[in-house]
Amino acid sequence: MERRKYPIYFSFPALSVFLLFFIAPTLIGVYYSFTDWNVNADSIRFIGLDNYKALFGEPRLGKALSNTLIFAAAVTLLQNAVGLGLALLMNEAIRMRNLYRTVFFMPYVIAPIVIGYVFRAIYHPEHGIVNEALGWIGLGSLGQDWLNDPKWALFSIIVTDIWRVAGFAMVVYLAGLQFIPKDLTESASIDGAGYWRRFRHIVFPLLAASFTVNVLLSVIGSMKVFEMVMVLTDGGPGYTTEVFYTYIRSTFSLGQMGYSTAINLMLFVLVTVVGVPVLMALKKREVEM
Amino acid sequence: MRKTRAFASITVLAVSAAVLAACGSSGDNNGGSVSSPSASGASGSKPAKDPVTLTFVISNTEDTTPFTKLFEAYEEKTGNKVELQALPGGDYDNLIKTRFSTGDFPDLFLMQPGTKQYVKLRADETLHEWSNEAGVWDNVIDSIKQAQVEADKIYGVPYGSTGMMGVFYNKDVFSKAGVNPPANYADLIEIAKKIKAAGVTPFYEGVKDAWPPQVFYYTGWVTQVDPAIGDEGVAKLNSNELKLSDIAELKDLFAKQKELKELGLYQDNVMSGTYDELQNEFGEGKVAMTFMLDGVVSQLEKKFGKDFVSNSVGFFPFPSATDTGTAMITPPNQLMVPEKAKHAAEAIELVKFMLEPESVDLFYANKPGIPIFKGATSELYPLQEDVKKYIDEGKSKVNIQNRLTPSFVDFSKTLQNFFLDGNIDKAIKEFSDNYQKDGKAKVLPGF
Repeated sequence: MERRKYPIYFSFPALSVFLLFFIAPTLIGVYYSFTDWNVNADSIRFIGLDNYKALFGEPRLGKALSNTLIFAAAVTLLQNAVGLGLALLMNEAIRMRNLYRTVFFMPYVIAPIVIGYVFRAIYHPEHGIVNEALGWIGLGSLGQDWLNDPKWALFSIIVTDIWRVAGFAMVVYLAGLQFIPKDLTESASIDGAGYWRRFRHIVFPLLAASFTVNVLLSVIGSMKVFEMVMVLTDGGPGYTTEVFYTYIRSTFSLGQMGYSTAINLMLFVLVTVVGVPVLMALKKREVEM
Repeated sequence: MRKTRAFASITVLAVSAAVLAACGSSGDNNGGSVSSPSASGASGSKPAKDPVTLTFVISNTEDTTPFTKLFEAYEEKTGNKVELQALPGGDYDNLIKTRFSTGDFPDLFLMQPGTKQYVKLRADETLHEWSNEAGVWDNVIDSIKQAQVEADKIYGVPYGSTGMMGVFYNKDVFSKAGVNPPANYADLIEIAKKIKAAGVTPFYEGVKDAWPPQVFYYTGWVTQVDPAIGDEGVAKLNSNELKLSDIAELKDLFAKQKELKELGLYQDNVMSGTYDELQNEFGEGKVAMTFMLDGVVSQLEKKFGKDFVSNSVGFFPFPSATDTGTAMITPPNQLMVPEKAKHAAEAIELVKFMLEPESVDLFYANKPGIPIFKGATSELYPLQEDVKKYIDEGKSKVNIQNRLTPSFVDFSKTLQNFFLDGNIDKAIKEFSDNYQKDGKAKVLPGF
């Protein structure tokens, strides 16, 4: 039987919205990145690659780039490790698991700004819970000025973000786990496979689709990190936790719209350069599995 | 299956909560719109023929009480109401600029002082010009008026009190340590060492909050940079003929701040110091001194009472190598009316009403400070009297920020880095480069 197709014009409303609110602003943004658009200037002039030349000579950008990449790599890795671990645990028949699932997912639905403010109190060097708790168990010497010591500030932001997003990864993995037929793992058990072998050879390969979704969302989301850094350290102390978006914000505040757009475009290219190969590799893995 | 459905329901609920939370936070970002009692309450007095409701925008870091009182009196007199909108102080400039660019003009708004705001807001195209307006300048002290003039035009009417920055000290701590306010800078260091020996933290710096460490430089500027470069030097900075990094006396200020840190005269955990904690430690006598602005006075009053501020808080300027130094004063904020405001004419009348002697007295009764209007009186704290003496003796100078058109962009970040690495050359170069970048961004001549 021939499959009925919907007429192409059904897609026009959605396409026009997408064109108007995404494609057109993106293209206009590309153009503006080659201009000297500035809120204080009377006119906008085309200046070729000047914004990009200025950008590459800016030491703050180097710091923002390295911090963004470190943050993205750490969050992607740990969010998935923690999320997967939680999902495996929450897939077992333990008491009150629905409550636990909700509790682990809850941080994801709290606004990052709120989480940031809460963790500012938690990380306080003198009155914060972290240092207080270390003191109670006799490890007071390990207490740090978590957000104001350059050695620990980025690490503290990463930990906070993982706490926030791990629950989301858990839900995606949990959905994947529920689609794995029980027969497979049960027959493997009968054949003598232990938990680790079942996980490695059956469960993990069959989670490939969930893994792709989670990794990709983590990579893209973490490279666009802003609120968490903004609230916890505002890119500080100094520029030590500067990321792309905090730098973009400060240039926008100066009214340098053209220059800011150029940085934004660079971030877009960076996300594409990192994200597309990751997607291709993971898709290929899905097919192989 | 049922469990899955229950889990899905919880998830949907949670996501809904997230959406609501996001709405809540965006509401905060836009700032609360607070109606003054006059705007919400019914007035029993005679209403105007066609009463209007004016919008007055103010930073939420400002005390709104004196304005609310004024607007109550204004409504009583004219029938017009004033809705007071308090926007977040941290993003105030950006929010005002955004409202301007989208045509959402308030009828009247309060802006930081100085002509640099004119550039920010493209005043010649957007704001009402006041220089020839009758009934505005009669009582304003001339030096305050002159600070608002640029190319013979005035786009903002100063309103409020003269502020100051300098060293605020706890008199009780000083007397316990047996020390007096310093006669010169070397004396200040000796005093700090004695206070430290007495077991009290000599200086507190709110590095975590980023802005407080800047006060050291602004107060130090009037004492040791201004005498060195003079008004000509300031003019050259405005036209980019002089670089900040080429001013030796400014570089010396970086060296002095570094010295304070190296001598251990700041509190422990200086990187996590905050403005709020400063107030607490200062009020509790755990900290002796702080380089700070006068906003701390009202905070200390709220936390420790009027008596504490009257009896226990003192003030002295940043001392020079040879004397007690120059008091740094800040002009008051300015009232501005956009030309395209819906009720621009009424807003101008409101400003004139606010400048009437009775209104001015009402303002100072609710927010005491050093008056900027001739004939106005205000109850002053002893520390404000001390500053007034410096002003009367001609030993005061307006904050350098209010005399320069470009801003010290990201200075707070530079100083946080400086507290970390102590690299004076790097810090002053970054400070200087960022100043020039801002001049360029503002398309100022010479940059």
